[in-house]
Amino acid sequence: MSTDFDVGDGTTFSWERWDRLKESELFVLAAATGFVVLFPWLFVRAPVVSDLLLGYGTLAKSIIIWSIFAVGFNLLLGETGLLSFGHAAFWGLAGYGAGWVAIYSYGHPLLMILAGVVLAAAFAAVVAPVLLRLHTVYFAIVSLAFAQTLFWLSREPFNQWTGGENGLTRMEVEPLFGGVSVSEPLPGVLGTLMGSWMYLLIAVSFVLTIVAVHRIKKSPYGLMFKAIRENETRSTFIGMNVWRYKFAAFVMSATVAGLAGALLTVDTAFVGIRRLWWSASGDVVVMTVIGGLRTLFGPVAGAFVYKWFGGVSDGIPQIGQFWLMTLAVVFAAIVWRYPDGIWGLFTRIGGLLRSLGGDRT
Amino acid sequence: MSLLTVEDVTMEFGGLLALESVDVAIEQGELVSLIGPNGAGKSTLINVITGMLEPSEGSIRYAGEELVGMTPHEIVQLGIGRSFQTAEIFPELTVKENVNVASLLSEHGSFSLNFLRRRDGYQAVKDRTRDILETLGLDDEAELPAKSLPYGDTRRLEVAVGMATDPELMFMDEPTAGMSPGETEMTTDLIERMRDEWGITILLVEHDMDIVFDISDRIVTLHQGSVIARGTPSEISADPSVRSAYLGGEVS
Repeated sequence: MSTDFDVGDGTTFSWERWDRLKESELFVLAAATGFVVLFPWLFVRAPVVSDLLLGYGTLAKSIIIWSIFAVGFNLLLGETGLLSFGHAAFWGLAGYGAGWVAIYSYGHPLLMILAGVVLAAAFAAVVAPVLLRLHTVYFAIVSLAFAQTLFWLSREPFNQWTGGENGLTRMEVEPLFGGVSVSEPLPGVLGTLMGSWMYLLIAVSFVLTIVAVHRIKKSPYGLMFKAIRENETRSTFIGMNVWRYKFAAFVMSATVAGLAGALLTVDTAFVGIRRLWWSASGDVVVMTVIGGLRTLFGPVAGAFVYKWFGGVSDGIPQIGQFWLMTLAVVFAAIVWRYPDGIWGLFTRIGGLLRSLGGDRT
Repeated sequence: MSLLTVEDVTMEFGGLLALESVDVAIEQGELVSLIGPNGAGKSTLINVITGMLEPSEGSIRYAGEELVGMTPHEIVQLGIGRSFQTAEIFPELTVKENVNVASLLSEHGSFSLNFLRRRDGYQAVKDRTRDILETLGLDDEAELPAKSLPYGDTRRLEVAVGMATDPELMFMDEPTAGMSPGETEMTTDLIERMRDEWGITILLVEHDMDIVFDISDRIVTLHQGSVIARGTPSEISADPSVRSAYLGGEVS
């Protein structure tokens, strides 16, 4: 049942039209842009809100970078139903790739990002033939083993290139263009809203990622991914080359992880060995699940909650010490009872309000 | 030349002969039933033809092409569809999406899909899905999640998904299992329409002998991995070896 009513300018508002609108690419583009532009201001500089949230600039950047990572990861976990426990490999390797190009070639931010993304995608394409033969928990465990192998290799045998425990330093991040360094503040109102050029670079990457993932989900590939998640046998027996689409989902998610990992290197001009440590793989799984599998913006909410608790609540004496326990409880509750996560909760509340307003869909 | 020729196929599982020198030929446009007691090798034969298992010996040719060594999805793309006994559907997807996956693959193969193009833009696929949903009477349920359908509708959706792959030859594994008499009749009507109106060649595995003898053009009887009889329904019901091995004198 639709509830049409006049919104004043002659066009009528209806929930059907809203449902269609919010699925459109332009809307997704606008929503992602609006969020990413306003977020650092609300979080770091706005009166009252930022004081309550105790936000700070570094954390804002970190939240958006992890959001990118989680949104891409969800293409694999939420859409295709493959749980990788080794995405730290792509995230970390891209970080090193960006660092190496800065040290051994030229550290232009865009060149660093390109190097990281290409390295992550290439590594995914190389390990995929082995990994994608495996299912469910075996896939998760062997992907973890791959990532841990990279960690041990970077720590000892290859420490000449990775800096081992000390991390990769001595890189020079060159100006973005015409002498403007990424750490400089943006001019005028943009500076007030978003802070530095670095944040702008992260924000643009975020919007591109959201739009690309949305588009992939709406493409034939998106449907193939879901079909594989739902029933792999049936997918084969309608003529689908399942391997090919799993490969696509895997490489796509690794590419996005690479983008996020490279951005972090550009921002910090440093790559620590812990980027390859398994906990990074775990972090992205937790963010995605908490935020909401099978949703586009859920992982963003998940990244925010996770990083905010990790980065801020430590400073609040009453909750700081309980944060890991709180996280464990929330995670368990979501896995057990609310598979659509935080975002699903939003959608449900929205639906409740709609039905109160007389819309019975 | 037959549409499908199974020649001298043997399937051995570690010393156990599941199929022994099986020969089956299916002509274009016929409805052939495969019968036999449990463990006779019916499922094994279908799994061998559809590429799930590779036979120990023998050859399987479809429209002149050798199927042995091909992957299951390649065999489906040649035009051999399959509907399953257990309802193999995509439970969380809508009824329409269930059919859409198969339509997309039949129109474009696995290799010409674009990951940056909206799938709404594939008009031929939309038309194909709509036609199939209408034909199978599922158009009212199109937007519902597949898991919410009652049992009979789920089985019909299973057939719709198989049909959407645009098969020339379709394997149907006990399509009426667990159905009410009304649903069974609808399903047998549907199978006959598939053959008569759409010219689909059908290989049916069915335990309900009334249906088998009613709608089959020919019947192939398997017993302990070998073909013991083949012929028209009247020939089979008169065959003493079939009666002793399987029918137990039930059919008069």
